[in-house]
Amino acid sequence: MNISDIPRGESWESLANEPLDAYDADLIARIHQLYQELDPVPVELVDRLQFAISLDALEVELAELQLGSGELLAARAEPASAVKTLTFTSDSLTTTVNISSDGPDRVRIDGWIAPGGISLVELHQGSLVRQIPADEDGRFVFTDVEHALTRFLIRPQDTDALPVATPAVEI
Amino acid sequence: MINAEAEQGTLASRAGEVFQRYRAGEAAAMGDLVALLTPILWHTVRAQRLDRESTEDVLQTTWLALVGHADSISDARAVLQWMLVAAKREAWRVLRNQSRQTPAEIEEDAMATPDSQLPENVTLRDAEQQLLWSHISVLPERCRELLRVIAFADRPDYAELARALRMPVGSIGPTRGRCLAKLRASLTADARWEPR
Repeated sequence: MNISDIPRGESWESLANEPLDAYDADLIARIHQLYQELDPVPVELVDRLQFAISLDALEVELAELQLGSGELLAARAEPASAVKTLTFTSDSLTTTVNISSDGPDRVRIDGWIAPGGISLVELHQGSLVRQIPADEDGRFVFTDVEHALTRFLIRPQDTDALPVATPAVEI
Repeated sequence: MINAEAEQGTLASRAGEVFQRYRAGEAAAMGDLVALLTPILWHTVRAQRLDRESTEDVLQTTWLALVGHADSISDARAVLQWMLVAAKREAWRVLRNQSRQTPAEIEEDAMATPDSQLPENVTLRDAEQQLLWSHISVLPERCRELLRVIAFADRPDYAELARALRMPVGSIGPTRGRCLAKLRASLTADARWEPR
């Protein structure tokens, strides 16, 4: 495709009936870039949508990240050996997680749900979901976890209590 | 580019395959579909001049509707069109509630006015983008919507997507169509525009 084929100022009516060509492909690619820059998709939107879908058809209680846990969120910037603690509270449960290094670029999560009781704990990272049982003291462990935006979903098994979802945190 | 499309399929065909996997019982495939289609759906809804926060809500509602209706979509390959139509419809429902204007009024206004869905002080990376934006922003709103949406898909999908957006037949694909032709004519008439 040579741009000199198109006289400057050629009417759009005659251009409209021609097949799409390489010039158009380039122009459309530039339009794509323009809108990406002008109006970017929020970075965590895909994660939020995936989580909303995974919770669909499931009534949940939303937990809050306890104040004071916030400054611990910059886990990536800390030395790998450091242990961070996050606490999520909701009406029915308090969930505390300790995050420590588990080899290069991986973390181990030791969690504790109070009050205790049998429950299933899910770790959500985007579309990845891992589920493990908590013991009767409410303890659970995830090993070999990637650094990513993470949410937990706690499904009590021995009561009628609603599942509890935590907000997403960067671990 | 044609070869790459043939190997990997277009956005619409890839979406159809992933959705088929979901319907065959692979629950995690829905997450893949979300990742695949969020960019084009974001721009489809934002082109209706909805704010960013409402757009997130619209997308969430639309995805949950898909999960709820997954079995009633007759052709899995049409999932992208289905989502585009559903997202646009939901965007208009939200807009009606927000503004108490009818969509017809909104559209008429919009034909005459420059793009108002974007921040007023847009800062663009370079002069080329600024120039491109100055030519796009004076197109009729329907043209901006069409070009914005198809720019996030692949060429063989254009005609289907234009139909899903309720654009007139022949809006784009296989021919250039009026919108892209207008933009191209206006760019080529501008001595500052440098084609690659």
